[in-house]
Amino acid sequence: MRRAVLVVLALATVAFRPTPAAAADPVLATTLDNGLRVLLLEDHRNPVASFQIWYRVGSRNEVRGATGIAHFLEHLMFKGTPRYGRGQYSQLIEQNGGRDNAFTSHDVTSYFVDIAVDKLDRVIELEADRLAHLLLDPSDIESERQVVMEERRTRTDDDPDGALAEETSALAFRAHPYGAPIIGWMVDLQRITRDEIAAFHRTYYLANNALVVAVGDFDAHEVLAKIGAAFGPIPRGPAPPPLRVTEPPQSGERRVTLSRQAQLPIVYLAYHVPNASSTDASALEVLSTVLSGGRASRLYQRLVRERQIALSAGGDYSYFSADPYLFWFWATPLPGQTPETLERALLEEMRSLQQELVSDEELARAKNQIEAAFVFQEDSVHSRASLLTRFELLGGHHLKDQYVPRIRAVTAEQLKLAATTYFTGERKNVGVLLPKP
Amino acid sequence: MGYARRLLVLAWLALVPAAAAATPPIAHREVLPNGIVLLVAERPAVPIVSVRAYVRAGSVFDPSGSPGLANLTADLLTRGTTRRSGEELDRAIEFVGGSLDADAGRDGTTVGVSVLKKDLDLGLDLLAEVIRTPTFPDAEVARRVTELKAAIRRSMENPESVASRELMQLVYPHHPYGHPVEGTLESVGTLDRERVLDFYRRHFRPDAMIVALVGAVTVSEARQAILARFGNWERPDAPTPAVSAPPPTPSDRTKTIERELTQATVYLGRPAIRQNDPDYFALVVADYVLGGGSASRLYMKVREEAGLAYSVGSHVAPGRYGATTLISLQTRNSEVTTAVEIVRRQMQRMSTEPVLAQELDLAKSYLIGSFPLRLDTSSKVASFLIGVEDGGLGLDYADTFRREVARVSAEDVRRVSGVYFAPATFASVTVGDQASAPKAD
Repeated sequence: MRRAVLVVLALATVAFRPTPAAAADPVLATTLDNGLRVLLLEDHRNPVASFQIWYRVGSRNEVRGATGIAHFLEHLMFKGTPRYGRGQYSQLIEQNGGRDNAFTSHDVTSYFVDIAVDKLDRVIELEADRLAHLLLDPSDIESERQVVMEERRTRTDDDPDGALAEETSALAFRAHPYGAPIIGWMVDLQRITRDEIAAFHRTYYLANNALVVAVGDFDAHEVLAKIGAAFGPIPRGPAPPPLRVTEPPQSGERRVTLSRQAQLPIVYLAYHVPNASSTDASALEVLSTVLSGGRASRLYQRLVRERQIALSAGGDYSYFSADPYLFWFWATPLPGQTPETLERALLEEMRSLQQELVSDEELARAKNQIEAAFVFQEDSVHSRASLLTRFELLGGHHLKDQYVPRIRAVTAEQLKLAATTYFTGERKNVGVLLPKP
Repeated sequence: MGYARRLLVLAWLALVPAAAAATPPIAHREVLPNGIVLLVAERPAVPIVSVRAYVRAGSVFDPSGSPGLANLTADLLTRGTTRRSGEELDRAIEFVGGSLDADAGRDGTTVGVSVLKKDLDLGLDLLAEVIRTPTFPDAEVARRVTELKAAIRRSMENPESVASRELMQLVYPHHPYGHPVEGTLESVGTLDRERVLDFYRRHFRPDAMIVALVGAVTVSEARQAILARFGNWERPDAPTPAVSAPPPTPSDRTKTIERELTQATVYLGRPAIRQNDPDYFALVVADYVLGGGSASRLYMKVREEAGLAYSVGSHVAPGRYGATTLISLQTRNSEVTTAVEIVRRQMQRMSTEPVLAQELDLAKSYLIGSFPLRLDTSSKVASFLIGVEDGGLGLDYADTFRREVARVSAEDVRRVSGVYFAPATFASVTVGDQASAPKAD
């Protein structure tokens, strides 16, 4: 399950290169007096809109003993305000033909509604209402606590991939909150109190800590006025405390082995890498596509097709991570192959990247794939809104215009250098899952 | 996992779009001389083209004793043609950042190509190659069989995959829908190139194919491009294969599969009507009221009020040979009995009491109002076109759906629920740790 999240993040990292027509589309970007950041983009191809509100809070803002609180709060955001009681938020959205959902990541909590554009006003009103007036009723908290625990059971306790990803992440981070699972440890989920949740909500759910992004068949200035009317009265709050944790450099290989009821073993390897603030970020992005982008990619070709030792294999980099995170490798052996063989094979592939340049074809293909994916994403208002937000969170939505040129500028030498710098024994974290006999 | 995901895709297809006011035709339709149905929707704004070719070569045609044959055949289409090896095909499509995939489902096989407009010729060349001239190299057949067996094994650790596979056998014991699309460990081991070739020759034919092109392509470009590549594909003399199977009868068979898990996964199912049955709209509305959205009865009672599940719901998965009504939930092992009782009680209520006006209105509002979201990308439109064509629903199905859903009454919902949500007619499967004492968390 975690791998699916990784893949989603990887896909989300692809750049947005506007077509000639789209390059003329202005993003209306502004900040309200209370600090709410607003990005609006008109898209008149279908009578729909995607309205998203992203809060700059995720599991990275949690403390030990209260992990999972950001995600728990995400659930509770659907539980009602004085004006719209328990369950009414979702019912109102559905009544208006909208689809709503939310997710919590390491860095952000994001809420979205995709809806026919003539119903957008209602959405704006509802989002402002629950930002400002969330009830956090104690009995709702208790029943949702059970739901979140069930979710943890589905995604982690009963899922070998999820369980292994959780253990490997915990291994890789000694100090930084990225080491704790987003869903939270079960013991914390059982213990978290209403007071802690309310304090977390007060600290982070502020207009000045949020972004509203909407893409759709509307008039941007009209929508801005509506957003201003609905969100404007919400007062600014004290700026949330910045996270001051730096993960100390890893000084040696780390390993964890899990034993679970499973059919086949799994191998994960994770290495500490920098985030987008580094000049190596674009190279790491291209590297992840060379390794794992499709059936012609390096790991699929070598491990799945040529050597026939893996059922699946891949690599992934999170370009948009707020703090330096991990470059993941994974492989599932075919029956009869051991995890040791797969680990060795993955390390051989890393060595190969460190010793030889990738071919011109591989490099060109990876760049073409990244650029094409970018164009494909333009077909959906939801994707356009999400991508704008990712870049805005990185430092400004205009950064997306630099993304593809930076990808295009990556050289084979830079890939070799990145592999040499980052895929070293000193930075290696290994997770192995062995099926219980 | 493949099957559950396919069902979700099918269920999604079931909720076909209802457009706003009177709409221009969603696509151009014509039948080529050799029987291929061509559908084209022009969406010039983004320079991409989504192409979906659908061939009536699904697992429903697997010979008895050989489940998995359609799936293996589909997987092998992209593993080599008379012109290119599998690897060359991969490199060709991926070099331009496009995708080329072939997937078998219950009723048909979909071969999809997505490309930037500038690469449309290449994309269609590859599409034609894999559909018309696959070679099924021996080494690829052997490799794929090995991979499929490993994938089936891997899916056995996923409780949802296990539950859905076991459930379908209980719901369709004498019908091809009862076997898994990917086959079983045993059956896949018996598949070979001969059988694949035989399946391919029997089922891959122009008069069993629909092709939809959506995106930055005009009707005349599409017609010309498809005729150039598929025009001389000869229609066989023999009639298109038919499926003969007795209509499934509902049963209340149950099965429990022990697994060392903290949660139990429960699936309930029964056969239901085809999408072109006049009662289908009432069934879709009933399904939404029971277990569709977050205001649904199952969501409210099982998740919101009792806190027993993160995931609980119902849906209707359409099929050419009949739909399947499904209800699913996951809850901690010690609460299975309680949760299932709630579910069955809610199913029963659907037929003993008329639904409230508010529930009925919400369901209709959602089903009709969310329609535009089903048609807002080229690939969604391509899927929709295939779905309505294969189901014989008409290209104006958006209007039909909107009109007919609006007409569904509380009495209609009660009546169809009496049949299609009657708890005693549902087979059920539980996958979890039911043997041990209830676990403390």
